[in-house]
Amino acid sequence: MSTDASHEVRPADTAAGRAPRPADDTGRQPGHKGGLRRKGLSERNRPLWMLIPGGALMIIIIVVPLLLGIYMSVLNLDQYTLRKWISAPLIGAENFVEAVTNSPLLHAVWLSVSYSLLAMVVTLPLGIAAAVATQNAFKGRAVIRSIFLIPYVLPSFVVATVWRTMLQPGGIVDEALATVGIHVGLWLNGPQTFWTLVLVQIWASWPFIYLLALSGLQSVDHEVHEASALDGALWWNKLRYVVFPYLKGPLSLAFLIGMLHHINNFTLPFVLFGVPAPADVEVLPILTYVTSFQSFRFGLSAAMAFISLVLIAIPLFVYLRAVKLDDADTPGAKK
Amino acid sequence: MRFKSTTGLAAIVTAAALALTGCGSGGSGNSGGSTNANGKVDGTGKTLNVLVGVLSQYPEQQKQWQSDIAAKFKAETGADVKFETFASANDELTRIQTSVVSGQGPDIYGLGTTFTPTAYATKAFVTLSDDDWKAVGGKDRFNQAALGISGPDKDHQAGIPFVSRPFVMAYNKDLLAAAGIDKPATSWDELAAQAKKMTKGDTYGIATGYKDNFDPWKFIWAMSVQAGNPLVDGNKLKMDDPTVKKAYETYFGWLTNDKVVDPASVGWSNSNAVAAFASGKAGYLMMTTSSSIPTLDKSAIAGKYEYTLMPTIAPGETQSKSDGDAASILSGDNLVVADYSKQKDLAFAYIKLITSKDEQLNYQKTFGDLPANAEALASLTDPKLKPLADAAAKSKATPFTGAWGDIQLGLLNVTVQSVPDLAAGKVDESALEQRIKDAQNKGQASLDRASKG
Amino acid sequence: MSATTATRHSPGTVAVERPGSHRQHEVLRLLPTPLLIFVLVFLGALVLIPVLYIFLASVNSDIGVANGEFWPSSVTFENYSKIWTSVGLATGLTNSVLVAGATAVVSAAMSVSTAFVLVRYTFRGRLTILRGLLALQSVPGTLMVLPVFVLFSSAATYLGIQVIGTQWGLFVTYLTFAMPFSTWVMVTYLRGLPKELEEAARIDGASNLGVLFRIILPLSWPGIVVSGIFAFLLGWNDVLFASVMTRPESQTAAVALQIFGASQEGGAIPYYGQMMAAALVCAAPVVILYLIFQRYLVGGLTAGGVK
Repeated sequence: MSTDASHEVRPADTAAGRAPRPADDTGRQPGHKGGLRRKGLSERNRPLWMLIPGGALMIIIIVVPLLLGIYMSVLNLDQYTLRKWISAPLIGAENFVEAVTNSPLLHAVWLSVSYSLLAMVVTLPLGIAAAVATQNAFKGRAVIRSIFLIPYVLPSFVVATVWRTMLQPGGIVDEALATVGIHVGLWLNGPQTFWTLVLVQIWASWPFIYLLALSGLQSVDHEVHEASALDGALWWNKLRYVVFPYLKGPLSLAFLIGMLHHINNFTLPFVLFGVPAPADVEVLPILTYVTSFQSFRFGLSAAMAFISLVLIAIPLFVYLRAVKLDDADTPGAKK
Repeated sequence: MRFKSTTGLAAIVTAAALALTGCGSGGSGNSGGSTNANGKVDGTGKTLNVLVGVLSQYPEQQKQWQSDIAAKFKAETGADVKFETFASANDELTRIQTSVVSGQGPDIYGLGTTFTPTAYATKAFVTLSDDDWKAVGGKDRFNQAALGISGPDKDHQAGIPFVSRPFVMAYNKDLLAAAGIDKPATSWDELAAQAKKMTKGDTYGIATGYKDNFDPWKFIWAMSVQAGNPLVDGNKLKMDDPTVKKAYETYFGWLTNDKVVDPASVGWSNSNAVAAFASGKAGYLMMTTSSSIPTLDKSAIAGKYEYTLMPTIAPGETQSKSDGDAASILSGDNLVVADYSKQKDLAFAYIKLITSKDEQLNYQKTFGDLPANAEALASLTDPKLKPLADAAAKSKATPFTGAWGDIQLGLLNVTVQSVPDLAAGKVDESALEQRIKDAQNKGQASLDRASKG
Repeated sequence: MSATTATRHSPGTVAVERPGSHRQHEVLRLLPTPLLIFVLVFLGALVLIPVLYIFLASVNSDIGVANGEFWPSSVTFENYSKIWTSVGLATGLTNSVLVAGATAVVSAAMSVSTAFVLVRYTFRGRLTILRGLLALQSVPGTLMVLPVFVLFSSAATYLGIQVIGTQWGLFVTYLTFAMPFSTWVMVTYLRGLPKELEEAARIDGASNLGVLFRIILPLSWPGIVVSGIFAFLLGWNDVLFASVMTRPESQTAAVALQIFGASQEGGAIPYYGQMMAAALVCAAPVVILYLIFQRYLVGGLTAGGVK
């Protein structure tokens, strides 16, 4: 059908997909049993050799050290046994038991996950708004787009140092807030540190969402814009029903990756708060760092890292299923 | 099928990697560099790798010093010297660990004295024999106090003293004079009293940072040791001793009771305190070293400040209860030689060169750190340096145990967890006791592991 | 079929038609103007105020910064010249650009071909690979430092390949860490591409490689740019691995910056002014690169290509 469809077609209908193409229509429905050919996947002539270079690299440089790390977690490895670490005494599950019962690990995992979640939830609308706002050409758009990128480009420890200086007691932030009569108290120690971390992380990482949303917006056809314009769709409805479905794929990915990055972000809390960290902000990377590089208990920290990996992998796979990121056919994007 | 084969491949690679690294632990043996007729080491065609901390206050001077020394060493032995630097204590630790694990890396490490016990615990560094000491110029030519942190006891030493950097306090001559004080305090009680006299308006008696990642534990250590508690006694950690609690109360009391520090200092690190002092806003700057000279000399109070020993009499006491005065933590840089090094003779020759009297005096003139060479130290005449030399002679070592890192963290943690209370104006006594108890338990556990290992 | 004329879509040209281009602009508009302006100003301020602080701090004295000033008490531009001699910043920047740039290019290229296979073909273990790539993203860096170092040093001892201390070692490490995410970005992007074009090409007899190069590659510029940026930033900002695996000749800018932040015990104020100046200097190349490449992030797949 062409886009000069009758005006009776409601926005929702045209929004349901791109200009439908006859041949492919049925193939796009998820779970359709039309056979592999219909799904556009082929079993013949697969250039699987293209997977080799990337695969080899990842196995050698990520998987092997990872296995080494797992091995270290069952050893009693500390500064006394580090030198001949292969022959360090094998203590099996002792490190794991200690990590779960006698260390702040579970508290740290909880802190890490909750702060990442909060940061992601706030950065999503910010990033989408920025992408949407810079989608249409206007004078100076290139400069604005580049400016938006700056927080993400600045090295993490510079961001942390800058914010640490700005948030010190009696510093600029306190003074600025005092002029409107708000007294917040200590930013960098005490119960508020959690929120400080969330805020600084939001500032530093919203461009990440912005970039991915921007790339997602590029796949919106002009025809779709045309169609919804013809239907007289209001900007909010158009955004919500027409454009946002295109973003679902990149943003589901962004949400996941962003969370993982935040959970593993060591530099930001380390430089902001220092070590030992206030109890309310003792997040996972700080805990493993202190255990490894200050208490020198490598075996224990490897066990901690491994447990947290497992704890995070479970929701990760649940999430993958839920947004169907790993389903071949419906990329979790448009239907 | 494809996937299974890659899994198999991964298993083989893993096994190979493990096997290979297993064989790669440090070798011993004293090869590299033969001694020729004059007893000088011949290292023609060899390169010595030295890892030192970066002196960020003196970047060009450091490069210059390094190339000068390299030239001198080459003239003497024919060997080249390659320098690497690390930017921070954390960097240094990571480098040590990666080198220890892999059995390769620099031949010589310049370590802060705080890390010597940890390095020693890895057993990856040479414990010097009598011959080795002769090769670096003889044990006697070093300031004997500086040897205190070289090893657990006199017969097992791995650290060769390089420079001393004792802790002192700086005071603003004008502010003291204006308050009618003619001599800086020698006890902590007197210090608080003097500070009260100097506090008015936005000027405070004492500048220190409660949020600093290093300083707070040093105060607690100093006050405890001066009251007779060395903190580690054999296998027991004595953090639950009342002297420690009194130390914390005194330290916190500057803010809560005496009100002689800027209330903003709950959030200050050492550099904020230095900046405040340098702007003339404080009478005493605590826990500082000769590294503050460049900053202070460029500031508003250049020429108006002096260094002096920190108080040596514990709070509540009238005389020192430790044997000898404990004016400062034994602090400075040591040199250690890696056990995996294949050029130990060359390494000792290099160390002998840089710990000679002339080189040490030259280093002092350029960078400010005090010589570890006894003769050089005695020959210093600059009156500004006298308090520093005094403090170097009156330094006490922190306990030499691999568990000290954890104990130190525990001491620091009590402060960190108390900061919110401090900001609110008062630290509750039972909360403080609980935090000290936690630190005591954790520290004791570490100490127990150390005695087993 | 559609009202718009099929315009050849090449990067840099927005596919608007000349006649009635204002109307076209209106059609593409996503936000009403007042809201647009509000969003831009709000986000712009959010970003620029701390950046302004960084700039002001770079022209202030170190003591001033340590005292918490916003507006400098004294202004000097000497920090911008000092940074080049205090540390090997020039070497660092060169190395960073080389390593991060190479990582970006190779990672983007490899990820296109890997994603292509993963999205368009099916085979046993495909889902496992996809999930595994994501799972690898959750591995923390601190866990990996020692084992990776051991791996590389063993390579040096037993295979004679000197990896540690060279830019190559860093490049290979960054490439490997960047690949999972780059691949996923491309996977998400490629899924959105219509398959008709490829089918048409195949009917015309194109081989796999041909399809990849002539159809997929030109269409996936936005995805390539984004995955390239992420790979670049990974290499540019990493400190942990760079500090362990480089020597003075091969150190990156991130390592050099660390020296400015080094606060020694007992009395030396870090060189705040120089650190801020160096931070801006190091951020500039990336922003400039983005300025150049962002024109590829332009909208609209070729409408006309789909017949």
